[in-house]
Amino acid sequence: MIDFSHVTKTFPTGEVVLDDVSFTVNPGEFVCITGKSGVGKTTLGRLLIRDLSPTKGTVKIDGEDLALMKTRDIPRLRRKIGFVFQDYKIILDKTVAENITYALEIAGYDSKKIPARIDQLLHLVDIPGKGDLFPSQLSGGELQRASIARAIAADPPILFADEPTGNLDKETSLEIFNLLKKINEAGTTVIMATHDVTIINFHHARHIHLEKGKIAFDRENVKSQNVEEEVKEQPSPKDDEVKIIHKKRKIKKIKK
Amino acid sequence: MQTAFKNIRRSPYQAISAIFVVSITMFIVAMFALVSVASQEILLTFETKPQIIAYLKDGHTPDQVNELLTQLSTTQGVKKAIYISKQDALELYKESVGNDPMLLGTVEITAQTPKSFNSISSVLERSEIVSTTPQGKKEIDFPQDVVAELTKWTNAIRVAGLIMVAALTLVSILTIVIIISMKISGRKLEITTLKLLGARNFYIIKPYIQESFLYGVSGALIGWLTAYIALLYSTPFLSPRIGTIITFPVPFIIMLILLGGMLTFSAALALVSGFFASTRFVKRSK
Repeated sequence: MIDFSHVTKTFPTGEVVLDDVSFTVNPGEFVCITGKSGVGKTTLGRLLIRDLSPTKGTVKIDGEDLALMKTRDIPRLRRKIGFVFQDYKIILDKTVAENITYALEIAGYDSKKIPARIDQLLHLVDIPGKGDLFPSQLSGGELQRASIARAIAADPPILFADEPTGNLDKETSLEIFNLLKKINEAGTTVIMATHDVTIINFHHARHIHLEKGKIAFDRENVKSQNVEEEVKEQPSPKDDEVKIIHKKRKIKKIKK
Repeated sequence: MQTAFKNIRRSPYQAISAIFVVSITMFIVAMFALVSVASQEILLTFETKPQIIAYLKDGHTPDQVNELLTQLSTTQGVKKAIYISKQDALELYKESVGNDPMLLGTVEITAQTPKSFNSISSVLERSEIVSTTPQGKKEIDFPQDVVAELTKWTNAIRVAGLIMVAALTLVSILTIVIIISMKISGRKLEITTLKLLGARNFYIIKPYIQESFLYGVSGALIGWLTAYIALLYSTPFLSPRIGTIITFPVPFIIMLILLGGMLTFSAALALVSGFFASTRFVKRSK
């Protein structure tokens, strides 16, 4: 169980990112944390892996206060939490398979079983056969999937996904969301931090919304039947961007 | 180890410069070790063959000679004392020179160490049968000065060699530390990611320690090989000069022992450098 109790986080600049935030996440739950950029979603994740310590309050995982944890025990904690980073943090000069291998080696996986596990993971995240590709050879969606594959490689009981759909078009976002749901159904506690409420508003999930560093609401959403159609029908930001680029090119040509 | 090889392939010039510096250090270490052993051998030869020659007066009797030999055999530090009569000396001289000079009978004493020279000399000074120079001095020859001079030179070589090896070892350590630090700082993002994934410090630093170990081992092998080639090349020059004291060509087993020592020294040096550079960086990164 994850327990945030009266957590306040103030950065050295004096900025209060989280202000007296309290909530618990039970094993096997799927929790979406929403809020505008800079509201403290990523900070929650960083507190969870002891990348940061709270200024006030406590963060506990299975009753263990992370602030009291010794530095040498932090790697053990981090191995318990799969983390999908907002900026992917995929090592660029390593192939997808090598990136996943790192996570498996760190978790102490048997080296003989690693290739089979990588295949299994790539199938699970729907990028089979892309293990030998470098990150630069992947699309944004594929990169996110690779990042998820690395995060869940060693079967961590908790998965924190920080803006996993942030840079993706609506359709891919939905696929990623469904993938996270699938991982959750397999028993992993999933916490997804996102500013995109479109998808989660139509799904059955616990929804914690942050505003100005405080919890604005914490409720259960009910899944809409037509969610996938509704989401697909919305123009994706990527399509818009492509149109703008084409327009700019046309203008340049005309000018020439 | 695969990661270490990959790191070397990625930045070959850094690897070459590290290996080059370690090779030079190891070459000097090898040469110093060989010179040190050779000078020790030469010194030992002089020390274990410290001979005092006492020239005897004409007309000494066998009883007098036996009395002196008995006296010498009970003196501390005497390894061996033999009597060479005038006739024996003549035969020996004829063998080497083919002449017929005026010769005296001698007692040749082999001392255990040059330190015993004084006590042996005082026994001979008291003996009546030992010949006397026109100035009234007993005719006793001993190479104490040569040994003292040789000891002085050997010690000087050892001190100079050790200073040079120490300085070069320091340069090698610094070179490896700088190169590993450069490489590791170039992979800061990767290290941060690995830490966030839960990697222990040892997992992160392992490839860098292995890489510096490879520098050490390669440097030792190149240094040893260069020293061996140099030794074989100079064998025709050295053999006639010190061939009676040291066996030429130097037996391969000796060279293998030297290689073993160099590999151990170089590997330890590289491991310490790699560990120092990588731990320092990894501890500082989050």
